[in-house]
Amino acid sequence: MTLTRPRRTTVLVALALVAALLVAVWSTRGSTEYPTPLDPRNPGPDGAQALAEVLDDQGVAVTVVRSADALEDTTVGEDTTVLVTATAALSPRTLDRLRRHAEPARLVLVEPSYSLVREIDEDLRATTVYPDEVEAACEAGSAPAGTDLSDLTIEVDQLTVFTGGDALDGARCFPTSGGVVVAESRAHDLVLLGAGQALTNDQVLRADNAALALRVAGGSNRLVWYVPDPTDAGADEVVSLGSLLPRWVVPGLWLTALALLGLLLWRVRRLGPLSREPLPVVVRAVETARSRGRMYRRSGDRRHAAGVLRRAARTDVAARLGLDRRAGTGEVVEATARHTGAPLEQVAALLDDHGHVPASDQDLVALAQELARLRKEVRRG
Amino acid sequence: MAISGRVPLLLLLGLVAVVLRPEGSTVWLWLLGVLLLVGIDLAVAPAPASVTLTRRQPGTVRLGDPATAGLRVAATRSGRVQVRDAWQPSAGATDNRHRFHLRAGESRRLTTPLLPRRRGDLHAAGVTVRTWGPLGLAARQRTYDVPGTVRALPPFESRKHLPSRLARLRDLDGRAAVRVRGQGTEFDSLREYVRGDDVRSIDWRASARAPHVVVRTWQPERDRRVVIVLDTSRTSAGRVARSVDEDVADGMPRLDAAMDAALLLGALASRAGDRIDFLAGDRRVRARQRVHGVRDVAARLQEQMADLEPTLVEADWDALAGGVQEFGRQRALVVLLTALEPSAIADGLLPVLPALTRHHRVVLASVRDPELGHLADVSATDRPTADAVYDAAAAEHELERRARMEEVLARLGVDVVDADAAQLPPALADHYLHLKAQGLL
Repeated sequence: MTLTRPRRTTVLVALALVAALLVAVWSTRGSTEYPTPLDPRNPGPDGAQALAEVLDDQGVAVTVVRSADALEDTTVGEDTTVLVTATAALSPRTLDRLRRHAEPARLVLVEPSYSLVREIDEDLRATTVYPDEVEAACEAGSAPAGTDLSDLTIEVDQLTVFTGGDALDGARCFPTSGGVVVAESRAHDLVLLGAGQALTNDQVLRADNAALALRVAGGSNRLVWYVPDPTDAGADEVVSLGSLLPRWVVPGLWLTALALLGLLLWRVRRLGPLSREPLPVVVRAVETARSRGRMYRRSGDRRHAAGVLRRAARTDVAARLGLDRRAGTGEVVEATARHTGAPLEQVAALLDDHGHVPASDQDLVALAQELARLRKEVRRG
Repeated sequence: MAISGRVPLLLLLGLVAVVLRPEGSTVWLWLLGVLLLVGIDLAVAPAPASVTLTRRQPGTVRLGDPATAGLRVAATRSGRVQVRDAWQPSAGATDNRHRFHLRAGESRRLTTPLLPRRRGDLHAAGVTVRTWGPLGLAARQRTYDVPGTVRALPPFESRKHLPSRLARLRDLDGRAAVRVRGQGTEFDSLREYVRGDDVRSIDWRASARAPHVVVRTWQPERDRRVVIVLDTSRTSAGRVARSVDEDVADGMPRLDAAMDAALLLGALASRAGDRIDFLAGDRRVRARQRVHGVRDVAARLQEQMADLEPTLVEADWDALAGGVQEFGRQRALVVLLTALEPSAIADGLLPVLPALTRHHRVVLASVRDPELGHLADVSATDRPTADAVYDAAAAEHELERRARMEEVLARLGVDVVDADAAQLPPALADHYLHLKAQGLL
């Protein structure tokens, strides 16, 4: 019975497939969970899991929060650093909430965008530069809030640098031609870090990148690593399709709608009113006969209908056989029977009014057909 | 007022301005500008009243023949003008929209081709004038009532039967070889005997004086009166098929078929030298015409019939018979063109018939409805339904009543000519010729 037992190879192939699937699921576990760049749980080249792990090993309590609500649930004290990566997802209102909650702690924003720094202060500017190596060379005395950044050299492919006159009233380190990479604003109580790539798993070991990362992030005993979620933004702050379109599209649509209205007004105006036709009464001449037929039908007067049909057949047959118009029924029946050669009783049952009265509509139809056949026969003969 | 297609185009042109200055206010400013232009154009446009319209009447045509409606347009101010000469739909006006530029003081003649599709007087529905401003953005429009009428005469389709009937008439007349003396014939002339002539027509007295045998020739009576009475009451409104194998949808009202028959009879009788009196009516007399000594009798009758329509009232035969008597007390052939509808005849016509038959010879010509025959024929389909059989019984009942009515009429001395719409005109003409040959007029 080969049909009931599966083949061995089939079983083996099925088992191999299941095993491959399990291996695939296990090996990809966690790797795609947090694909955001600079995410503390992202082990990929642009993730920052290495930094988070090292800080943890060094005794810094790292708390990862992923939404504004979760951030507000964590306690932020004096001895805490709040590190914000993926700042592109930070909307102005979430930034406000963040700054209010992180009031006592030190706030570090990694690579904030041009529009985000404009939100913080009108004078602040962020630009992207592509340098080789940058030395610390901090000005204005010390490095930000108790961290020593002197003698460090960082090396990344891309940097965000900040300028901004009075707004940057704290320490300023790693100057480039366009501005500084690490800037502190005492007025707004935050640190801007322009070297996001220095924190990635891929580049943290280049030059003194690791030192910079550890000193900035590990300055206090607790680190709250905040990865903003785009859904934290209010409904009116969300980037919509409309804000991506050219500005003339909406007024253009309005104008097109107005043009369509104009088109409507142009086409809707007729050149004069519709002309009317006084219609005559049109009735089919046969309509009265038809309604009489309907009346017969409704009253079910089969006796009358059969009588009319028989009388008409008698008249027709009599005329064909050359009988007198006033000839009696018996005379007509006799002549017809003689002419067609049919039995007298049969013809009498068909033509005589005293014959069989149809009991149903089917009977009436049959009688009408018989009469029509008889008339045709007489006409032919 | 009206705007042109340039207005939406001008609005669309504002897209350029919007691209250059992408603000909401640009849209409103542009709209304001366009509205301003439209307003100025409308204010400058000449008033429609500055255009004067004069109608040239299209006159009278036979149904199915084309006509032309003329309109003279004159303006006191220059400008582009649009004119629509509207007619009721059955007048068949095509190309009735005209668009042209008119200078001040200039006038122009517009023609609108018409092709009437219904008998009777067809009216113009109004002339619409649209005067455009100089920019062609906006126009002022007004519709004026400029009366116009085209009269469509009955088509007289049975004209094709006239030549053959006239040939038959010549046979009866003195001009052909067959001359038989009979009742109601008049002495015509003497001529030489040829073989085939009836020996009874030899005039022995004249033969005695002549070197050869002479026969007398006769001609049918002339100068008889024929009164044609057209019934326009409810029974004439029924639509019937033209012939047995045609559909009712292509048919015509009984009245139109009766008109055709009346026209053929009138044309034939006038050529035979008889005088025609025509009367049409239902509850009252609607048309009345003496056609004596006129060349084209058919045209005169057509003119009388043009605007007759069936009315949904019972015929008042007293009034109609009175109308017949008013034509004169001289014996005449009275042809009643009405439907052989037993109930209508029994109630209205029968009481007045004896008075008519006493003075005149009466013929009743009726348009038969072939549909009734179809309805009565059960064997047309293999499996008739009960409905069809009840209908057949009703139709047989109707046919029987008709046959009985025909008998009654025959007993009263009335000849009945009952034929399909297409067959009635020649049948009636043949009956007339038969009566004439028999000298029964």
